[in-house]
This record gives sequence, structure tokens and C-alpha cells, in this order.
Amino acid sequence: MRNQKHKILLALALLGIVAMGWVLGRGVQEENQIKMVYIPKIIDNNNEFWTALIAGARMAAEEYHIDLTIIAPQREEDFEKQNALILEAIKQNPDVILVSPSHYTGTLEAVKEVRKRGIKLVFIDSEVKEPVWDSIVATDNFIAGSKMGNLAKSYIDDNTEIAVVGHVKSSSTAIERIRGLEYILGKRKSQIVETVFCDSTFEKAYSLTEELVKKYPDLDLVIGTNEYAAVGAANAIKDLGMAGKIKMVGFDNSIEEVQLLEEGVFVGIVVQKPFNMGYLGIEQAYKILKNEEFKVQLDSGSELITKENMYTEENQKLLFPFVGRQFREAQD
Amino acid sequence: MLLLQVKKAWNKVFSSIRTSMIVSFSILIVSALLVFLVVSLNYTQDRILNNSISYTTQIIDLINTDIDSYIDYMENISLLVSNNNDVQQYLFGQTTSSAQQKTIFERIQAQFKTVMESRKDISNVVVFSNQGRSLVNTGNDELNQNISLYDLEWAMEAIKRENGTSLSSSHVQNLVKNKYQWVVTLSRAIRNPYTNERAGLFFIDLNYDIISDLCENNSMGERGYIYILDKDGRIIYHPQQQLLYSGLKEERIEEILESKTSYFVTNEGTDSRLYTISRSEKTGWTIVGVAYTDELMKGKEETQLIYLFTAGILFMIAVITATLLSSTITKPIKVLKNSMKEVEKGNFESASITLHSNNEIGSLSNSFNVMTEEIQNLMQQNIYEQRQKRKSELRALQSQINPHFLYNTLDSIIWMAEGGRNTEVVLMTSSLAKLMRQSFSNQAETVSIEKEVEYVRSYLTIQKMRYKDKLEFEIKIDQDIRQIEIVKLILQPLVENAIYHGIKYKEEIGLIQIEGLECDGKIQLIIKDNGAGMNAETLEHILDEKKENKHSNGVGVYNVHMRLQLYYGPQYGVRYESVLGEGTKVTVTIPGRG
Repeated sequence: MRNQKHKILLALALLGIVAMGWVLGRGVQEENQIKMVYIPKIIDNNNEFWTALIAGARMAAEEYHIDLTIIAPQREEDFEKQNALILEAIKQNPDVILVSPSHYTGTLEAVKEVRKRGIKLVFIDSEVKEPVWDSIVATDNFIAGSKMGNLAKSYIDDNTEIAVVGHVKSSSTAIERIRGLEYILGKRKSQIVETVFCDSTFEKAYSLTEELVKKYPDLDLVIGTNEYAAVGAANAIKDLGMAGKIKMVGFDNSIEEVQLLEEGVFVGIVVQKPFNMGYLGIEQAYKILKNEEFKVQLDSGSELITKENMYTEENQKLLFPFVGRQFREAQD
Repeated sequence: MLLLQVKKAWNKVFSSIRTSMIVSFSILIVSALLVFLVVSLNYTQDRILNNSISYTTQIIDLINTDIDSYIDYMENISLLVSNNNDVQQYLFGQTTSSAQQKTIFERIQAQFKTVMESRKDISNVVVFSNQGRSLVNTGNDELNQNISLYDLEWAMEAIKRENGTSLSSSHVQNLVKNKYQWVVTLSRAIRNPYTNERAGLFFIDLNYDIISDLCENNSMGERGYIYILDKDGRIIYHPQQQLLYSGLKEERIEEILESKTSYFVTNEGTDSRLYTISRSEKTGWTIVGVAYTDELMKGKEETQLIYLFTAGILFMIAVITATLLSSTITKPIKVLKNSMKEVEKGNFESASITLHSNNEIGSLSNSFNVMTEEIQNLMQQNIYEQRQKRKSELRALQSQINPHFLYNTLDSIIWMAEGGRNTEVVLMTSSLAKLMRQSFSNQAETVSIEKEVEYVRSYLTIQKMRYKDKLEFEIKIDQDIRQIEIVKLILQPLVENAIYHGIKYKEEIGLIQIEGLECDGKIQLIIKDNGAGMNAETLEHILDEKKENKHSNGVGVYNVHMRLQLYYGPQYGVRYESVLGEGTKVTVTIPGRG
């Protein structure tokens, strides 16, 4: 009886010590910082899409205390260089590798390697032929393309001749956008006289458009499928003095595009939400690591903007990133 | 089933006073400590929260004042510019020459340049008229011709306003070509001095340098922040403005606008926030300070820890004290209990308790002592009285000589005297005299073995003479034991028994042998006869009380045995061995010397 009582007392004392230890030790535990590598198609300060996307990714990394490295090729269509960068990223053994694959098929092997090493794989903006990703955050490009189609349709009659200036023929984004566009055009799809690809350069888009205008004197409508394609084509049309006569539907968002919209060269542009895309990409990757609920496929959304509604409160926020201090820091 | 187990366990725990005292004390103390802890923690928490509220309120009010004076300063600039003669001349002048016009323009340009260079928080300074004259910043920028003034809410507000400046919300400034910056615009209409119409506009675009400095340099804790809403609830400034604009994050706006108090606290666990609100009359803006309560309560955890630690130590001290205290109370009770156990067993000597205290337990112990002593006395008295009674009985028994024996002996003497057998008469008479002397004279309880044997010899002599040739006897006593004392009148009744029940029924001469020796530290007196002997049944009942022999002098075998046991203890007494037809052996055992 006496012994038992001593045992109870001892147990109480031990319990007290353990409780104190727990209270004191609670503050000490610290997580290892999560490491992620993001490989976009390009880092180009003149391209507002990628700039905003990277800023979004950086801001999310800051928000979630993630060690984020961003490396990219010099040219958007250089998928071989991107593949090399992906393999390089694998060597760093991060928790997650995020990629905006440059090539629908050419990037496949490299990203498969990521999965093979047990590293989580998140796609941003573009995809590859096989669904090898853990999660993808992208504009639903079919929907975005159909939004272009809807606008274009209102300018089309039976005699309208349409040309499409695409960006990179083998990229998923171009394929999907054109598919969405053609889906909405329906029968009028046959009025597309030609589809060309500018390999995501302003110069090639410009020159291809010049050729198109010469080739098809009755051309009424030109549709550009990304910033390079749309701006290059619009500048060509503007320079040829055809602005207003040849209507243009653009894609993506930049100051130049905004100005061309103000000037009336574009009748409208479909903008993606690159900042959201970058932010959500990192957020999804974080959720995967933390075993929280995440989406395998997440649409970051797109909006059609015309000259008339471009300065509404909501669209201002879409078109112009708020370049506050935090945003600037995220860009640097 | 479970209930039963609980009850069992409960009973087990409270099976002793000591345990129940410790447990009850502990429960009492823990409850008291808990109540104390909760009350003091809540009190501390309230105090900290109140302090934090007044602290953040002060900060937010201060920022409000700073922003008011910042806007005030900008208004002053706008007033200076719009009332400036040069500006009015440049915008609306008709008569001046182009040379004069140029000088005026350069003067304004220099002024604007100074402003632009000295103030990094100003994105644009613009003045223009409906006549197409304008100056944008230092003159290197121009107005965006694609934008219609009538589409601009802020510009229309300024033009409509009779007097004074108007302040826009956050918006993209698209009126300045190529810039498209997010700004807050402070604008003022300029009157044409000739027509007195509001025909021009001056505006300053404020980027967020000063505002964010004001908001960010004030500590709201590590995670806390400050943001600003305009009168319609649109965000003027927020440290995460882009995230809000992208719809990736949300901020409490409705609640702020509807709040009637200057602060409120949200309940979101570790993300609980304190919102402090300050509205500006001047700008119509609302400054909102957001502080995380767990940061404000940083001291709380420390306080909790100290409280908890103190409570723990107090608890331990209390438990130890309770243990010691209950021990001092229950120890005398335990001693009492043990003593009672001793009394139960009959050990009165060891039952006495040494008293240590004068409290209730002390007096209880005292009473117990008195009681046991009393019982002990009574018992001793009882034993003494019993013994006295036995002794007197014994004496009475001892002093008796069977009158039949006496008559028979006297008859024998007479008969022998008549026969002239003088020698025999002398022997018998002297033997009888010895016998009687020994029987009457000595009052002592015991005699030496020698004397006892003499007594039996006298008896046997008489009996031998009476029975003539029928009885022979031999006495052989060790020299060493002759002086040892023995209870009186032991041998004679046994010998008498041997004669009447053994020898008497024998045809031939009977022999009684008496032997005395020391064996294993005990004295044995053995009486053997070769008489009739006894069967097993008789032998078995030889020591029973009923088996009183009316032929003997009343001191039967049972009596002998009882007296021996009474006097020497249960391990002593008489032992019979007998074989039917062969004889009987009686062994008397008494303690030896020492």
C-alpha cells in the first residue's frame, strides 16, 4: 500500500516534468525549408506575361516560406535547353520541380525523369502529351481560344477571310487555343485562309503578317495567339496602314497591347492571369507536399477585354499589375 | 460492470484514512489552483488585449493624422499651382507673344521639375486646358490622346467641383502616355481667368512610396499590417494589393465599413486578428490596423508558463505537506490499531502505548492504556483467586485419610494383639503412626521425594501385613533425587490403586515395584505391578474424572494427575501402560532440578 502510494507520487512528479518539457519544447521544433525549382519557358523582362507569372510565383514562395530557384532558357522555343535545365534541377534534389514545358512532346522525357526520381512535378501554363504531372495550373486554353472565337465571330460574315498567327506550333497552348477558336467558329472555320506560326518572336510574327496581307488582299480578320504573335501582327497591320480595315483579336497582355487596344488596332484581347498562375502553381506544389487537398488540374482563368471595358475597376486590376513595393521586390 | 470496477477502485483508494486525506487534499488544492490559474490568466489576457487595443488605436490614429497632413500638403501644392498666374497665362493666355509664352512655359517647367525631382512619391504632375495646352511632368511626357477625359471618373469629379481638390481612389493613370501606373490622383479644376469657367485641370499622381512608408514603418507585430480603404470600400493601399486584386486573397471590407466601434477581434484560432479602425474626415479614407492576437499575447505564453510552473511547485509542496500531515495524524491511530491486535492475541504487556500528544488521539490512547491495564489486573486477580481456590481444595484432599483404611488397620492391630504377635503389632502401629504424622503434621504443599517414598513405604508395610503373603514390594530410588520436592500424596493413591485393582485379583503373590530416576532432565517415578492389568478401554478412561474410586481415600488417579498438571504444567502428570493379565506400569513425571 505504502509502495503503491510512492509510485503514484512519483508518477505525478514525472507527469509534471513531462508537461513542462512539452510546454518549453513546443517553441523549438522547426521545419526544414521547402525547396522548389521552377523552369519557365523564358525569363524576359520585356514579356509581361512571364514577368507577371514569375512575380506571382515569387510572391507565393515568400508567402509560404519556400526556397524557390527559377532558371530558364534564353528563347521560348528552345526546349532542348529547357530539358538540360530540368535535368540540372533534378541534381539539386528539390522537393518539387515546376515546369512550363516548351514542347508538347519534346519535353516529355525530361519531365518523366523528374517523376522517376520521386520529385513532385507541377506544370504551369503548358502541358505535355502524357499526363505525368502531379498537378497542373494553367489557363484552360481551349476556353481562352473560344473566347477569342466569340469576339471574332461578331465581326464575321460570309465573305470574311480570317488568318491565324500562332506562336509555337508544337506547344500545347497554341494547339488548345486554336482548337477552341475553331470550335466556336464552327462552319466558318473554313474561312480561315491560313494559319502560320511565329515561334514566339515579334519579328517573325511581323514578317509573316506582312506576307499574309500581301498574299490575301481581302483579309478581314487576324487572330494572334500569344503576345509575340498578336503584337507582331498588330504592328505589321498598323504599319501597313490597315488598322481598322483589318480587325485584330489579340491574346495576352502588355503595355503595347493595351495601347494597340486603345488605338483600336485590336478589337479585343483575351488576357490570361499569369500572376495568379504563378502564385497558384507554387501554392498547389506546397499543398501537395503538405498533404493538403489540391487540384490535379487547376484553371487560372482568362478574360476577354475590349476597348470599351478595359478601364473598368475589375479590368484595370487584370491588365495592370499593381507595382507596389512587394511586387517590385518579387520581381528582383 | 465498469461502474462496479470504478467503485471497487474507489473503495480501494479510500481504504485508509491516510490515502483519503491525501487524495481529498490534492483534489481540493488542484481545484483551487485551477480556479486561480483560470482567473489570473483571463485577467492577464484581458489586460494585455486592452493594452494592445489602446496601443494600436494610437498608432492608427497617428497614421491617419500623418496621411491627412500628407494630403494637406499636396492640396497646398495644387492650390499654389492652380492659382499661379504663370499657369493661368500659359493655359488660357491669348495676347502674349510666343516668346513670352515660351518664358512662362519654361518657368512652369522649372517649377514642375523641382517638384518631380524633390519628391519621389509623385509620379506625375500634369496641367492642361480644354484649349489643348498642357504640361506633363518635366515636359518629356505627353497626354494619351486615345483617352477621353469624360471617361475618367476622377477628372469629372474635379471639374464638377466648385472649389477645392478632389482625391481619387487607387486607379491606373492612363492619361499619361506609356506609363499606366497605379496611383492616387489629387486633382483640381483651373478657372479660365478671362471667362471664369472651369476650363483646365491640374493633377498630381501619388505613387505609394510615402503611403506605404507610413503604413509599413509602424509596428503591428511581425505578421500584422495596415491598409487603407476609400469611402466606398475600395482598397487604396494594402501591403498585398496585387494578391487582393488578383482575387487570390481577401480582406475584411464589409465588416470594417459596417463596424460601429473603433476595433473588433476576429476568432480564427491562431489567426485571430485585432482590427483597429480610424476614419479620416478629410479624405474619407479608413485606416485599418491588423494585428495578430497571438503576437500581441506573446507575453501570455510566458505568463502561462510561470503560472503553470508556480502552480506545479505549489501542488508538489501541497502533496508533500498533505502526506506528512496525514502521517502525523494517522500514525498514532495505526499504533493504537496494532496495540489492539496485541490485546486480541492476549499480549497485554506489549500493548501499552507511549503517548506523544495531548490531542483526541492522545486521550484515546490513554483511555486504551488504562483499559488494558484494568483488564490485565482483573485477569491476574482472577487467576490468583482460582489458584487459591484450587489450593484449598487440594489441601482438603491431601489431609484426608480414608477412614476405612484406618478402621481396617486398627482392626488388624487389635486382631494381632489378641494373637499376641507383639512384634507385628509394634511394626504396624509404628507404620500407622508415621503415616498419620506425615498426613496431619505437614501443612506444606510439597515434600521431598524421600519423605513421599517413606510415606508410601509405611502404607505398603501396613498393607503387606494385612494381606500377609499376597503382597511384596520393592522400592528403589536414586540417591540423587531423594531431596527433590514433589507434590504431596502422589504415590500413595497410585499404589493403593495398584493394590485394589491389580494385586487384589491375583492368586499368587503380587509384586509392586517403585522406582525413582532422572531421565532427560525430568524426574520419573514408576510404579509397576504384576497384577490383573487392564484392557484397552479401561486404560483409555483411567484418567477420566468420573473414574473416582470409592475404595480409595478419595484421592483418585484423576486427582493425582490434575494436581501434577496444575502444579507443574500440562507437560507433566501421570501416564499409564498396561497389559491385561500381566500388570500395569504407572509413570509419574515431574520437572527435574534447575
